[in-house]
Amino acid sequence: MTGHVETNEAHRTSPPGRGIFDPQLLDRCISCGFCLPACPTYAVSQDEGSSPRGRITLMRALETGRLDEDDPRLREESSFCLGCRACEPVCPAGVQYGDLLEEWRDHQWRGRHRPPLAQVLMMVAERTPLLRAMGVVRRHARTAPRPADTSLMLGCFERGLYPGLSWTVRTLLPDIAVPAQQGCCGALHAHNGESERGRELARRLGEELPGVIVTTAGGCAAHLAGVLGRDRVHELSEHLAKTGAAPVGEVTVDGRRARVAIQDSCHLRNGLRVFAEPRALISTVAEFVPVTGDDSCCGSAGTYSLLRPRDSRRILDPKLDAFEAAAVDYVVAVNPGCLRQLQTGLRRRGSAIRAVHLADLLAAAAGGRPLPRGVPWRVPRILTRLGRGSRQRGAARSTDGWSA
Amino acid sequence: MSLDRALVAELQAIVGGEHVRTDRGDVEPYARDATPVFRAVPDAVVWPRTSEEVAAVLRLATQRHVPVVPRGAGSNLCAATVAERGGIVLVLTRMNRILEISPDELLARVEAGVTTAALADAAAAKGLLYAPDPGSRTVSTVGGNVATCAGGLRGLKYGVTRNYVLGATAVLPTGEVIRSGGRLWKDVAGYDLTRLLTGSEGTLGVLTEVTVALLPMPATTNTGVAYFPTLADAGRAVGAIIGDGIVPATLEFLDAKCIGAVEEYANLGLRLDAGALLLFGDDGPADVVDRNLGRIGEQCTANGAMEVTLAESVARSEALLTARRCSLPALSRLGTLTLLEDATVPRPRLAEMVDRIDDIADRYDVPIATFGHAGDGNLHPTCVVDQRDEAAIDRAHKAFGDVFAAAIDMDGTITGEHGVGAAKLPYLQARLGADQMALLRRIKAAFDPAGILNPGKLGS
Repeated sequence: MTGHVETNEAHRTSPPGRGIFDPQLLDRCISCGFCLPACPTYAVSQDEGSSPRGRITLMRALETGRLDEDDPRLREESSFCLGCRACEPVCPAGVQYGDLLEEWRDHQWRGRHRPPLAQVLMMVAERTPLLRAMGVVRRHARTAPRPADTSLMLGCFERGLYPGLSWTVRTLLPDIAVPAQQGCCGALHAHNGESERGRELARRLGEELPGVIVTTAGGCAAHLAGVLGRDRVHELSEHLAKTGAAPVGEVTVDGRRARVAIQDSCHLRNGLRVFAEPRALISTVAEFVPVTGDDSCCGSAGTYSLLRPRDSRRILDPKLDAFEAAAVDYVVAVNPGCLRQLQTGLRRRGSAIRAVHLADLLAAAAGGRPLPRGVPWRVPRILTRLGRGSRQRGAARSTDGWSA
Repeated sequence: MSLDRALVAELQAIVGGEHVRTDRGDVEPYARDATPVFRAVPDAVVWPRTSEEVAAVLRLATQRHVPVVPRGAGSNLCAATVAERGGIVLVLTRMNRILEISPDELLARVEAGVTTAALADAAAAKGLLYAPDPGSRTVSTVGGNVATCAGGLRGLKYGVTRNYVLGATAVLPTGEVIRSGGRLWKDVAGYDLTRLLTGSEGTLGVLTEVTVALLPMPATTNTGVAYFPTLADAGRAVGAIIGDGIVPATLEFLDAKCIGAVEEYANLGLRLDAGALLLFGDDGPADVVDRNLGRIGEQCTANGAMEVTLAESVARSEALLTARRCSLPALSRLGTLTLLEDATVPRPRLAEMVDRIDDIADRYDVPIATFGHAGDGNLHPTCVVDQRDEAAIDRAHKAFGDVFAAAIDMDGTITGEHGVGAAKLPYLQARLGADQMALLRRIKAAFDPAGILNPGKLGS
């Protein structure tokens, strides 16, 4: 009648693996659980299986064959994980969770198991002519191809959504080369079950852009640095700090220094450990406001906000509450995906806070294009109501589900 | 085998459908806690929200003879929450409300699933200190701390969890909800069930609410570090410090192997040529802390310290304490299987015990590094081996058997703060003797006649 232990494996060493994971990486975890408080999906679920430690237990079960890849929980967790790597800096045992996740998705999402939307995005990112067409609107931003020791990378998200960003960066770094001929860095692939292809694309981009590659996208920076080496890749704030280019001017709102918060880019913070630099830059041109949780994932997480919109909003909403409670004028993002996520979320709630890229803030301070004004987004009434409705539904579901 | 459908349906009726999980992939993550080697997959995981729900689950389990293993965050180091007989793992993390912080009465009342750090932060916000600080405080739950009587880095001056539990609400396996103790410092009405439940490792009842004592927040804290040529010198210094009438909040030691591992991990600029490191700290009014740390430094120097340094800033002080807290994970980087024990001896015999551990390690040809709480005589001999080397694991287990025997031989114990769980049950009789073991079983039977609560652990 009652269950008995079906597999009491106490006092037994682990059986040989299936070769899905690098045993060196998988063996690192000592299951101490220090990662639990850092994990955004554990925070909303309070379920061990949705924590880094629990997911590693699942990976081990997959590796040893105790669970197979068709197990619904394995499938769910491989996609529920944001891949934000917030578990890495707090891990005393040095588990490289991001690498494990890539290996997991390589196996779990192979072939037909990959989310179709991720497949489409990767195909778009690989078509260089398409990317170039997306960048055509700001042709004036490009310099003629010339040998340079520092080039600006044009991220895929950025070309599609923020074509003006590279122009803004050029006002800050007049000497930087912006070659038109460049492909995708492959971060998208690496995070969606195609890690080998992701590395190949990064290597190719490394050949297209010799010397130091500067990027406005924290996510791309971390992936590129992982393949090309840390020295060859500078995220924008890091580059400004390293080259000693001190920002000038000030951003004001109603005659006072603007109150500005930050949303870290997860891979920039947790992968490359760059988080002091953008804060220092903001502090020189505005009043920097630290906000609790500004270091945790916004739910954008690469393709996550597209693949899992509801979970993405559950992660984002408490953060927007915190930014609003801190009464900031602007939230600075250092990754276009995060910028998009914040703008969408703030607009949805009709907030007076505007999300801007760090480059926009610094350029505005230096007398460049002014930032959007801090008036509430004008959202049509009916849309607002719809938005609220769905928020409430989401909240209700999360409470009777797995909410903390 | 798994639980029958009718039983699962009844559990779902009690806590709600989505708070009962039985699918293979859903229960797999609950097969282990922070203890290496031990692993057993439960049949179901259940997340109750109230004491009443816990009571209904336990009544049902007793009726149907299904094992129930209560679990907080699963950060214990003695396999206390591994479901070795299958059954239900009862996870209390949904019961995570801080019910009350009372500055007037110097107490807090919390649900069992509140994390230790959340309680400490809430108390600190009102200028109060929750003194117990186990290494896993950011993760561990207060309920779990009470169930295992968690220790920590402040044990010498402040004691351990049991010294702070004023009252507990516990659900008995037969379904009664009892409230032992309460808000009183003085209360001798009846057997001290609060103390009995503290450290009972989920074998007597399921703790659902706890009332703990708080202290006024000390004005300042500071930390220092002293290096010694040998651990025996450090041991003598500890005796001299306490003999001098100082009871510091923190008095921790690392042996040479630990110093190397921690330095490799945290880059704190620790001296790698020392045989032992003593980390000392105190809290209180600034002048008292300064004076005490000065006197501790003098005692260290008088007992052969190579160097004594006081932390120049709060951040530096915090970093040193963090380094001590990360000793275990830092050591774990040296191999793939980390076996950690916590044999404890009377304080004056600390250095002698470390010598004996080193001899045992040599005899069995396994690497054992030792760190721990010098002030409490609480050692953490840690053995790091390759998890695929079965012969080495076997030798390590035998070595630890000898370590426990040595501790008992020196009037010590097999576990100072981690607990017995499934991991140390085989050694318990050597510590307690047959009569006490029999008494433990009779106590267990009085609370849990059907033997469903965490079977195969204490009292079994």
